[in-house]
Amino acid sequence: MPDTETTLIQKAQKGDHDAFAALVDAHQRYVYNLALRVVKDENEALDLTQETFVRAWTALPNFKGQSQFRTWLYRIVTNLCYNRLPNLRRSLNDLGDDVMEDIPESKFNAPAQEFESNETRRHLYQAIDAFDANYQLLITLRYQHELSYDEIASTLNLPLGTVKTGIFRAKEQLRKSLARLEESWTTV
Amino acid sequence: MDNRLTPQEQNALIEDALITYPLAPMPRNITVNVMARLPKNTRPALVTWNDFLLSLVIASCVGALWFASQNLPPILIAKLHIQGILLYQDFLVNARWLVPAMMFGLAALLAALTIPALIQMTMMKNVHK
Repeated sequence: MPDTETTLIQKAQKGDHDAFAALVDAHQRYVYNLALRVVKDENEALDLTQETFVRAWTALPNFKGQSQFRTWLYRIVTNLCYNRLPNLRRSLNDLGDDVMEDIPESKFNAPAQEFESNETRRHLYQAIDAFDANYQLLITLRYQHELSYDEIASTLNLPLGTVKTGIFRAKEQLRKSLARLEESWTTV
Repeated sequence: MDNRLTPQEQNALIEDALITYPLAPMPRNITVNVMARLPKNTRPALVTWNDFLLSLVIASCVGALWFASQNLPPILIAKLHIQGILLYQDFLVNARWLVPAMMFGLAALLAALTIPALIQMTMMKNVHK
């Protein structure tokens, strides 16, 4: 029977390299993607991913399981990103917290809408690609890693309002991008 | 006919794009690289060959000293005894400050030895934040 993640963590905490290798295998893609979205460079993201796991190994005896292992890893990689991009932390804090209303939680298993064309989707993907690092970080944690707003706030050590504001503004940017696309449709 | 998207349709498109935005594939598996970079913290044996050699040298020195002291001529032993008494008296008169100074130095050294461990602990805490 394969080991559960909790068992692997416990074994790794006792120095089991094989158990830790299994954890690296399971989480590397998510850690890499988070780093890639922020630093936007493949080699640098790979380097950050490796550094994250080396630091995780060193700090693993102190991991008490109060948060999920993956959010703990995201916290490490985020701190490394802060070190690489000193302005990232400031740009996140500068988002403020002016969005006070509750943003409804998304359904991650929602099927793609029938009316959505591939062209629109590609256009929105390009707009997401062009996001600044602070929005990339928030959007990736929210939608690719499926963390709740509270988990994101805890991972990034930011107020909940700032997280909501950041995601709201990122969506506003997408809305504007979509409007531009619509304009191009009507002018053709 | 106005075929612009309604706000609900816009929201649905945006949510869909955010949810389906694909994860980038790993360029290569990094597990081997990570495992190679892990610090090797194998538990040291209780006694190493270095420990054995060091104790052998120290024991030999102590043994040689004891052997030499047992074979000194009595007149030399008496002279050494007198020199010892003179040195002790000299210490009592001129160098009483040496004991507290040495104790202070020892305490300062012990405090300094804790600094690397404290720095490491602080860095660990920062990693957790």
